[in-house]
Amino acid sequence: MNQAEVISRLQSIFDNVFLEPPVLTPELTAAEVPEWDSLLHISLLVAVEKAFDVRFRVGEVEATKNVGEFADLIARRKKER
Amino acid sequence: MDLVEIKDLLRRNDPEFWPHLKRLTAQAVDFDDLIFLSSLRRKAAARGLVRPGQAAPLRLAILGGCSLYPLHELLSHLLETDGFACDLFLGDYDNYVSEIMDPESGLYSFRPQVVLVIPGVQRCRYAGAITDSREEAQAAASGVAMQLLDLCRRVHDNNGAEVILGNFMLPTRRDPGEFRTRTLTSDWSFRKWVNLELGLNAPPFVRICDLEFLATRLGGLASEDRRGWFESKQPCSPALLVELCREAAHLIRGLRNPPRKVLALDLDNTLWGGVVADDGLEGIEIGDTSPRGEAFKAFQNCILSLKQRGVLLAVVSKNDHARALEPFEKHPEMVLRAGDFVSFKANWEPKSDNLLQMAAELELGIDSFVFVDDNPAEIEIVRQFAPGVTTILLGSDPADYAAQLQDCGLFEPRGITTEDLQRSGQYAAERERQTLAASTTDMDAYLASLEMVATINDFTPVDVPRLAQLINKSNQFNLTTRRRTEAEVASLIGCPDHVCLSVRLRDRFGDHGLISIIIGNKNGPALEIDTWLMSCRVLKRQVEETVLNELARLARGKGCSHIEGVYLATPKNEMVRDFYPRMEFEARLVTPDRGDFVLDLASFLPRDTRISVRTNL
Repeated sequence: MNQAEVISRLQSIFDNVFLEPPVLTPELTAAEVPEWDSLLHISLLVAVEKAFDVRFRVGEVEATKNVGEFADLIARRKKER
Repeated sequence: MDLVEIKDLLRRNDPEFWPHLKRLTAQAVDFDDLIFLSSLRRKAAARGLVRPGQAAPLRLAILGGCSLYPLHELLSHLLETDGFACDLFLGDYDNYVSEIMDPESGLYSFRPQVVLVIPGVQRCRYAGAITDSREEAQAAASGVAMQLLDLCRRVHDNNGAEVILGNFMLPTRRDPGEFRTRTLTSDWSFRKWVNLELGLNAPPFVRICDLEFLATRLGGLASEDRRGWFESKQPCSPALLVELCREAAHLIRGLRNPPRKVLALDLDNTLWGGVVADDGLEGIEIGDTSPRGEAFKAFQNCILSLKQRGVLLAVVSKNDHARALEPFEKHPEMVLRAGDFVSFKANWEPKSDNLLQMAAELELGIDSFVFVDDNPAEIEIVRQFAPGVTTILLGSDPADYAAQLQDCGLFEPRGITTEDLQRSGQYAAERERQTLAASTTDMDAYLASLEMVATINDFTPVDVPRLAQLINKSNQFNLTTRRRTEAEVASLIGCPDHVCLSVRLRDRFGDHGLISIIIGNKNGPALEIDTWLMSCRVLKRQVEETVLNELARLARGKGCSHIEGVYLATPKNEMVRDFYPRMEFEARLVTPDRGDFVLDLASFLPRDTRISVRTNL
């Protein structure tokens, strides 16, 4: 799975969770989306782990800076499985 | 979970959003679904979508040795969607000891009504050596428990808040192997001991949120989350956090809502397999001769054990009455017998009608009923036409019926009182009394023949649980319907400005227990009646007159010249709208919602009643 494929699957999770879903781009950050608060973030992470059947390692999600890096992380963890 | 519809409702600002949110929240299992629903709730509030009437918010403080986020979000979501809006106070991370010890802390200026404390598991370890004696470890474990209970007591003593205290999850890792069971110094044994000490020594104002049990039920490994701890000091896995919050919400609701009283049961394919009118007495499945029969028998045993701790049983069945009774009288494998039921309705009327009629006959509110049936159509008719009743639709496998009942959470005792255990017998005695009344045309002679004795005392600490129970569940004969927590009731004991009466009644058929409560407040020359309530079981027994005689005597003793009574109308207390006029109080101001009445003590003459009084006042 490459970054684009991951982002396209992420988009459907975001569409489900957000009232006004942002269009995901690799450069997008949570800070740019008013609805993307810490509460929604927690819900998103659990939903992403479920949907992709991955488990992130301690601290690594926090280290990602934007949607692109987050998608790369998902792709890396997915590859291990 | 399908989120399309609820998001649409919110986008359209449709008030249907709220009931929909409530339904989805009640059904949701997954953590992320609940968190998402909570975020929708916040968005709805931010958009100004008006929600149906909510009670005054509950002031809830949450303290703990872990992060309280998103715990508080989840808990307040569960409470708010269930009609309990919350004002929250959140303690700082792992600062609960000093927050509780410092009387100047923000916790106390918040004046919480309920305080949830989730102590840090990191503090629940034996600090000594693995070779220490059992006595040393035991003393240390008791010490941990007593320290926590002491914190709860401080919270309670400061402003009377009720406390919900989390206990400790057990370790899930194998170390130190089998040796863990041979010593109290291992985390495994030590925490179990602390948990036992907590529960066994908890005073009435403390409710244990049993994390040990919840984690055992869910599975230890599924309950812990080390990553969550390291990243953001989460106390447990998201899955257990859901269980924790559901349990805490359940306990908080239980502080205000009493448990249900009546379990009304269908018969065919509920208490036994098959249809007795078609299959005959020999054809129904019940008892140890078949696996299905065993399952139904286990269900009956489970029902019987509810009866033994005070739940009233009833039958509501679409059946021919005589055929329906047959298994109870003649089938050797039946556990339940006709005498176990306080009401037996087997007929062809709608079950909702039967339940409403039963409530009237037993003089109980319809919302104290739980109805169990295997047929969705019957459940639906009761939901629609007797909406106060809580319904349980049995699943497809009788093997799970008992578990369904045991998990319903509707009959949880709050410390079983002696009255609870006598209740079923009391209803049986009531049937005998009614038979006697029917045979006695002269009411006065009937009342005299009952040989009634009322014991009228002031409130005592030992009565507090039962007093609070009655104060919080009485609806019909209740002049003001003012609810009080146990702590609020306890604070009235020995208060010189108050006249607090607890009234017990017994007669020659049995003991009714505590049946009436009066709280009066001396205000200058007036005794103001804050609360006057009575159990409907003892209507028309002259209890009210007897109580008024005592009240007048005590008011005079306190130098009062008159008694002031108020009636506050609710949907359920119509029966006492004319209570004060009947007691010959004079009306001062009467509107549909409220009536103010006064009784002049100078001209009051005690009533003649057939009740002899014992009192320590």
